[in-house]
Amino acid sequence: MVDHLPQFIIAGLTTGSIYALIALGFCIIHNSTGIVNFTQVDFVSLGGLMMYTLLLGLGLPLILAFILAVMAVTATGALVERLAIRPARSRAVIILIFITIGTSILMRGVFKVLWGKNQMGLPHFSGEDPITLLGATLLPQNLWIFLITFLAVGSLQFFFGRTRMGKAMRAVSFNRRAAALMGINVNLIVLLSFALSGALGAVAGIIIVPITTLSYEIGVMLGLKGFAAAVLGGYGNSLGAVLGGLTLGVLESLGAGLISSAYKDVIAFGILLLVLFVKPNGLLGYGDSERL
Amino acid sequence: MRRLLRANKSLLRLVGLATSIALFPLLVSNPYYLNVANIIGLNAIIVVGLTLLIGYAGQVSLGHAAFYGLGAYISAVLTVSHGFNPWLALILAALITSLIAVIIGIPTLKLQGHYLVMATLGFNLIANIIIVQWDSVTGGPSGFPGIPPLKIGSLSFDSDGKMYFLIWSVLFVVVLLALNLANSRVGRGLKALHAGESAANCVGIPTSAYKVKMFVFSAVLASLAGSLYAHYLSFVSPKTFDIFFSVELVTMVIVGGMGSIWGGLFGTGFLTSLPNILHYVDEYKDIFYGLILVLILIFVPEGLLVSASSRLRSKRNPGENHGRGYDAPTQRPENCLSCNCVPHYPFECLDLDIMLREPILRVHNVSRGFGGVLAVSEVSFDIPEGSITALIGPNGAGKTTIINVISGVNRSHHGHILFAKRRIDCLRPYEIARMGLTRTFQNVQVFDNMTVLENVMVGMHPKTNSEFLISMMRPPSFTKEEKEIRDRSMESLIFLNLEQSANSPARELSFGDQKRLEIARAIVSDPRLVLLDEPVAGLNMTESFEIADLILAMRSRGMSVLLVEHDINVVMRISDKVVVLNYGTKIADGTPQEVQNDRDVLNAYLGGVL
Repeated sequence: MVDHLPQFIIAGLTTGSIYALIALGFCIIHNSTGIVNFTQVDFVSLGGLMMYTLLLGLGLPLILAFILAVMAVTATGALVERLAIRPARSRAVIILIFITIGTSILMRGVFKVLWGKNQMGLPHFSGEDPITLLGATLLPQNLWIFLITFLAVGSLQFFFGRTRMGKAMRAVSFNRRAAALMGINVNLIVLLSFALSGALGAVAGIIIVPITTLSYEIGVMLGLKGFAAAVLGGYGNSLGAVLGGLTLGVLESLGAGLISSAYKDVIAFGILLLVLFVKPNGLLGYGDSERL
Repeated sequence: MRRLLRANKSLLRLVGLATSIALFPLLVSNPYYLNVANIIGLNAIIVVGLTLLIGYAGQVSLGHAAFYGLGAYISAVLTVSHGFNPWLALILAALITSLIAVIIGIPTLKLQGHYLVMATLGFNLIANIIIVQWDSVTGGPSGFPGIPPLKIGSLSFDSDGKMYFLIWSVLFVVVLLALNLANSRVGRGLKALHAGESAANCVGIPTSAYKVKMFVFSAVLASLAGSLYAHYLSFVSPKTFDIFFSVELVTMVIVGGMGSIWGGLFGTGFLTSLPNILHYVDEYKDIFYGLILVLILIFVPEGLLVSASSRLRSKRNPGENHGRGYDAPTQRPENCLSCNCVPHYPFECLDLDIMLREPILRVHNVSRGFGGVLAVSEVSFDIPEGSITALIGPNGAGKTTIINVISGVNRSHHGHILFAKRRIDCLRPYEIARMGLTRTFQNVQVFDNMTVLENVMVGMHPKTNSEFLISMMRPPSFTKEEKEIRDRSMESLIFLNLEQSANSPARELSFGDQKRLEIARAIVSDPRLVLLDEPVAGLNMTESFEIADLILAMRSRGMSVLLVEHDINVVMRISDKVVVLNYGTKIADGTPQEVQNDRDVLNAYLGGVL
């Protein structure tokens, strides 16, 4: 069992990267709007599904299909904001959250009609010849996942830290009203945050599908785990989201390997409960205090 | 006559519900519709509990499908595999479910915020996987068959028709209990904590305990519905209890109208029958379902039923206030001191003996920091019983921190606080309120989801006792207490000159009236000490004098007052004692004259020019 430890860790970091990307999507929208956006799970599914159609249906080259799929989901994200969130007559958080839940049901209904209920598959990006590293066997796809996650997180970090638009988004997350008074177009920022989350979800879906199976609801379980990862990292904290995703992935993979694979998901959500009971603001979060 | 009808609107609706329950099976003979009606009834039992949890306590649970499943599976396993009596199994299922709800509820509801929704989401996913995987007990993914029907004596509930009467009778009782709870001291307490948790706690509501109790009660209702479901269908399978059903249940609450039990019932009927109607568009079912849901939430966020009934009402009697009618007495009591003339307060009339009286509150060496900054450092002072003591100081001097520490909102890091000779620095705000120490807030904290009168009624919480069970059962003692709460609250409103607005929504009051409302709420329970945090800030001169007048009247009613205020005119005119803070330490205390002549005070206020 212990011999397999490196293998479990590699597997955990792989799914953990996916959780991290999804968790980041949850965080970005939370920061700009204060809500949990459940269409995040469908962004993941749609990424995989678009990739399937573009790559296998239309026969486009890998890189082009990748870019177009991400763009399509980015546009979908923006569309969700324009059509479902912005026209909402109530700004109550719970209403907005359930609008995203309704939209999610709607989107899944559309996916089911367009792509059917069957399981599908996607080829690996660059072959399936295993590589041995530190006692673990890994596929080139694992490396692609690490690389692309790293690039995505890095460029996001650059975006939030260095660009004008990124700083504006952070300002909105700290104080929406004050940001609006400083001349930041809050509506645009919210739109952008949905687009960005769409892109992150799409990337997660596209890179994970080759090593799992694709279906119209592939994003649901991944997305819920991504949500758990976001909570684990302190909901809304982007560094926490990455750390939460990787931690959750590794713990889940170790649990599945060493304890029971049937209860793999129980372990993941058990960790979520444990964190909420013991350290509810997450690994890196801090509590808000109300001003009376 | 109209008033009588309005007061009994709930009663009329209940009679209507009972009649339609009784007539439905006579009109509909198709067992398919009876089956749909039964499922609606079961869902409604869960939704009523959820409506109280979401609409009143403001807490969302995505775990109620799991509680429903727990009830169903525990009943199934105990009766079939262990030969238990079904009714005993039903009770055991409810007990086990409530225990699990307590375990989830206590750690997550102790905190403010939406932790419950995350924890229940995780719990539902876990519970569902365990039901699927633990097939030696639960039958696994293929389900658990052969559950016997419920029996009373020789009457066996083995058909859709018989089950219909059982389920809908249970629902009827549940609705009755829920309506009673909603319109009670507890219901108001829940609404208050929904609007502002810290404020509710300071008014005397044990917020965490209330949230946990409400959550457990709603979980027990779900378990009860689950047990009935298992015996009704004689077969249970895990898919019925997955996270998507939890989401659907919450959706039923929202679509009908979050704050209303009737709205929840309507939402349940609508969303439970919707898939049966959409049956005809088969393949596109999910698309339509999602679309309808999104459209309702976007355009009718207040809920279908609530929206329809308020539209109807405004058409019928335009300009009428919402809320229940109360005949406001128009005559003012003789001793009411609040009047519109500008009063004068000569120093001589102040009772200097007050300074020598026993202190009602002793603050001893209290320090409190935030992060690395010490907001208050080793502050000590006394509040003589029956006095108006003012706490003044420049911005950032630590005045509000002192108030927060005394009222229990923040803990002191050092030192102790004695109120009526008992230590209170380790108590929670609601416990302190119960001892007779109430407060108002610098940033006005009225409960904006209630009427003005109801806001004040919440203030009676520390002085009254009816808890969950009593509120649901309504024995005569409850009615008596409720009347006392109403009368005392009305008196308090009259004292503050707010009785004309008694039935208006609190959020519609002007800023000045909201400040008065807070005072009315703070004094309705006849506290021994009231902390007023900047009661005249933002008010014009006439309004300020009115409030000053009122504070004097409070003193003559026997209350002691701690007043935090920037308005030096008001402070110097009405205070018996003044405590001055600067940079978190006390620099002076004494009578207004003593303080006005104190060198340190002059330096702090005038920047040392003297």
